[in-house]
Amino acid sequence: MMQKEVYIQESVRQWKDIIAHHLNLDIRKYERTLNKFNRGGLFLFAFFLILALFPSLFAPYSPTERFISYESPSTAHLLGTNDIGNDILSELIYGARISMMVGFASASISTLIGLMIGLCSGYFRGTPDELLMGFTDVVLTIPKIPLIIIIGAFLHPSILTLILVLGLLSWESIARVVRSKTLQIREAGYVKSARCMGFSSFHIMASDIFPNLIHILLPKFMLATASAMISEASLSFLGLGDISMKSWGIMLSFAFSRGGFIRDMWWWYLPPGICITLCVMSIALIGFGFEGGKENEKRGVDTE
Amino acid sequence: MSLKAENLSRAYGSGLLGRGKCIFRDVSFELEPGKTFGLMGPSGEGKSTLGRIIAGLERPTDGAVLFNGNPLSKMKKAEYSTFRRRVQMMFQDPTDAFNPRKRIEHSIFEVLKLLEISGTERIRCTKEMLKTTGLPEEVLFRYPSQLSGGQLQRLALGRILLLDPEYIILDEPTSALDVSVQAQVLHLLKKVQAEQGIGYLLISHDEAVIRFMSDSCGELEKGQLGLIEV
Repeated sequence: MMQKEVYIQESVRQWKDIIAHHLNLDIRKYERTLNKFNRGGLFLFAFFLILALFPSLFAPYSPTERFISYESPSTAHLLGTNDIGNDILSELIYGARISMMVGFASASISTLIGLMIGLCSGYFRGTPDELLMGFTDVVLTIPKIPLIIIIGAFLHPSILTLILVLGLLSWESIARVVRSKTLQIREAGYVKSARCMGFSSFHIMASDIFPNLIHILLPKFMLATASAMISEASLSFLGLGDISMKSWGIMLSFAFSRGGFIRDMWWWYLPPGICITLCVMSIALIGFGFEGGKENEKRGVDTE
Repeated sequence: MSLKAENLSRAYGSGLLGRGKCIFRDVSFELEPGKTFGLMGPSGEGKSTLGRIIAGLERPTDGAVLFNGNPLSKMKKAEYSTFRRRVQMMFQDPTDAFNPRKRIEHSIFEVLKLLEISGTERIRCTKEMLKTTGLPEEVLFRYPSQLSGGQLQRLALGRILLLDPEYIILDEPTSALDVSVQAQVLHLLKKVQAEQGIGYLLISHDEAVIRFMSDSCGELEKGQLGLIEV
């Protein structure tokens, strides 16, 4: 038995070497990177991601199909039905896609804006830096949630406005972090010699500075996703979400306004809450995993 | 082709409210092709700042850097880009001379691409450069962190030479290296100078290095440049 295990381990190792040799990939390096993540977070996140990508595989019914309303959990409806008779489990599974989409889309927007503003002000310094950072400070002092509520109330509630509003109002901390790191990298020898050689500013920013910012951008991106999902849930709960796209926040809001809490139907209001918590937690855990990685990791060196 | 510093001054922290602290004042000297001007002085006297000003990376508070008789600050775009090619700078720390995320090959080809050199020519240029610097071809496929300080410093010089410069500002090129490697790099610098007639501004606080390399020499002390005999 032992012999066989050793043999299997040995052949796995050989295969890895062969793949590494032929594809010019260092698999062990990727394994080390993987070790840095929080495994639990990664597992949970993969679970939610699969739910979001292929809801039809897991949901027993279509989320719009109608049955008898206010039913308790049974074998036919594992989490019962809601006020208009939709199956709550199916609703929950289809909601994953919308909640995660809002989170990732608005985090992408805010990361992109933060990256550009931070890079420009850190690289050019001087007047552009003062203007951009002054603007960032102004945005930083705006109370976010009240502003989002007001904007959400005036604009037609749709998922696109929600993404835009969340994305356009949460880039400041990313911009500041990127700026401070850029200021540091800018003084490195390779940036100075690239400037000496006459490379364009754009080239230096894109190919010398940006790759060295990734290890701070990724955790920031993950945390921005998590906080955008929470904001989406709270806005939807306040009734500012898109009713046609049922996210977890909207489910909570309906459970609140259509009698879920009064009738004590815990199977209606608890699952979306738990899903939001777990999903945000998994994303945050992955983000922390990135942050824990060695900051000054250099390519091609065994860091362990 | 000449590179001249005229009455350069540099102050830090000058702004609306005060004149700031003056680092050096009225520094003038001239670099000649094929010759080395050594610049000595205690730490914190602004040697490296002076080097960066001559290389056009920083602006002087007062005075001007003249390239072919034209001051840098008044150059047109075309003139400035010739200056940018012709005057290069080499830095102290070899470990951050190359982007840690790129293979050496990438960093070298990037420069050749900037010079608009075509594919087959690129390989020829790279090989020639490796021959001049005396490095094996395999260094191309490494990341900077996998090479030694001496190798990196020689590669950094090689990459600068691809641009065919007339003047190189050497900002303590050997102070991060140990003695035997220092000698290698210095000999390489001398060899390149003899072959291509490049003018050096050598900044160092090591008198032995200055003595070995320089044709003329100056010392920055208390904000003034004093010429000294080598």
